[in-house]
Amino acid sequence: MICIATFFSHFGAIRFRRFCTGKGWSSQIMPVPRDLSSSCGTCVRYEDTLKETISEGGAGAPLSEEYEAFCRSMEELEQVVACTDAGYQVLYRAENI
Amino acid sequence: MSFTSEKRNICLAGLLIGIIAIALVFFGNPVNMGFCIACFLRDISGAIGLHRAAAVQYIRPEIIGLVLGSMILALAKGEFKVRGGSSPVTRFTLGAFVMIGCLMFLGCPFRMILRLAGGDGNAIFGLVGFAAGILCGVFFLNRGYSLKRSYQLTQAEGFLLPGAMVGLLVLLALAPSFIFFTEAGGGPGALHAALAVSLIAGLAVGALSQRTRLCMVGGIRDMVLFKENKLLLGFIAIFVAALIGNLIMGNFTPGFAGQPVAHTDGLWNALGMLLAGFGCVLLGGCPLRQLILTGEGNTDSAVAVLGLIVGAAFAHNFGLASSGEGPTANGKIAVIIGIIIVTVIACANTFGKKEN
Repeated sequence: MICIATFFSHFGAIRFRRFCTGKGWSSQIMPVPRDLSSSCGTCVRYEDTLKETISEGGAGAPLSEEYEAFCRSMEELEQVVACTDAGYQVLYRAENI
Repeated sequence: MSFTSEKRNICLAGLLIGIIAIALVFFGNPVNMGFCIACFLRDISGAIGLHRAAAVQYIRPEIIGLVLGSMILALAKGEFKVRGGSSPVTRFTLGAFVMIGCLMFLGCPFRMILRLAGGDGNAIFGLVGFAAGILCGVFFLNRGYSLKRSYQLTQAEGFLLPGAMVGLLVLLALAPSFIFFTEAGGGPGALHAALAVSLIAGLAVGALSQRTRLCMVGGIRDMVLFKENKLLLGFIAIFVAALIGNLIMGNFTPGFAGQPVAHTDGLWNALGMLLAGFGCVLLGGCPLRQLILTGEGNTDSAVAVLGLIVGAAFAHNFGLASSGEGPTANGKIAVIIGIIIVTVIACANTFGKKEN
């Protein structure tokens, strides 16, 4: 599954990409796509090998514990979306944004 | 929307914005100043009495239009999201020093493009300094610079500065005696298009910039960070449209001496824009982008805009702003102090953080 993670800072994206690399996921740092957000920050587009965990339950399915714990541990992570045929499906969103 | 269509849209928007900037000069704005966010905020600062430089006092409807144009479109598209709380005092300080850098050069990054398109060779030094400042900022971005996250705030918070813009529009229309306006022939503040023309131009450019995320700083920053030229194409499109417009209107006068609202001190043109570029990267966008984000409900950007306005007041009250005669001694000292303080802010928000 192709996912996009957006961040509150550029360095948050750099750190997330390191995480992706460590997991063996192919990833790319790039500007946030306009149709995803009106902000002009940095995002990471990556191929998530946890796709089975996410897709089994379909839209709104819970993330794996490891994944969610990582998301929550990164204070710079704003949101994670999956790129689907129907558009972006939100997988994780930081609180109070 | 694909990246290709995003690039096409930003090119079209850039061309349109360049044409609007030239049209504003035709309708009365100073030459090479169809748009200048720094100059216009400085004029507003003077109009409400924060400084008393009689030559530069006017409530510029373009600024009001930029914020409201962005806000109207953001509301229509469901992109008006009120957030803030990301190091507001730091953003205010950065905004003030960005303005001091801009007023050393005599223009914001937007006007720098328009000056280049008018044949003003002094702006080449500004562009070199601006690019150098962006590289300084990118250095810190890649090493962990962050002003920390923003948080959702109440709707009222996001409407405050756009509301103040409506208030300024009322003051401009009513022109009460406590608002200062440059007298006819008294300087750049007296040169302006009609209120409705300026307001419509601001609304149009605000909406276009909101849709395309046009940012003078972002163009060079994204090229350095991602080799992504989308925002830079907008930058270039404005230049091309303004250049053609100036050639048609007879306003293209290549050279260094005698350029409108400009001086010929290359070093300080460069250092002024270095300060502006550096500060803008740390803020996350150029002065135009700060206005657009303010219209989207971003109160961190609203604080940066307030910093820009107060910075303009400092610049004129303390003799920091340059003139056609050149930079002042006070201005040179302020720019050096600004570069030092912005560097300290960058270091303080970069190093010594724990890695996750």
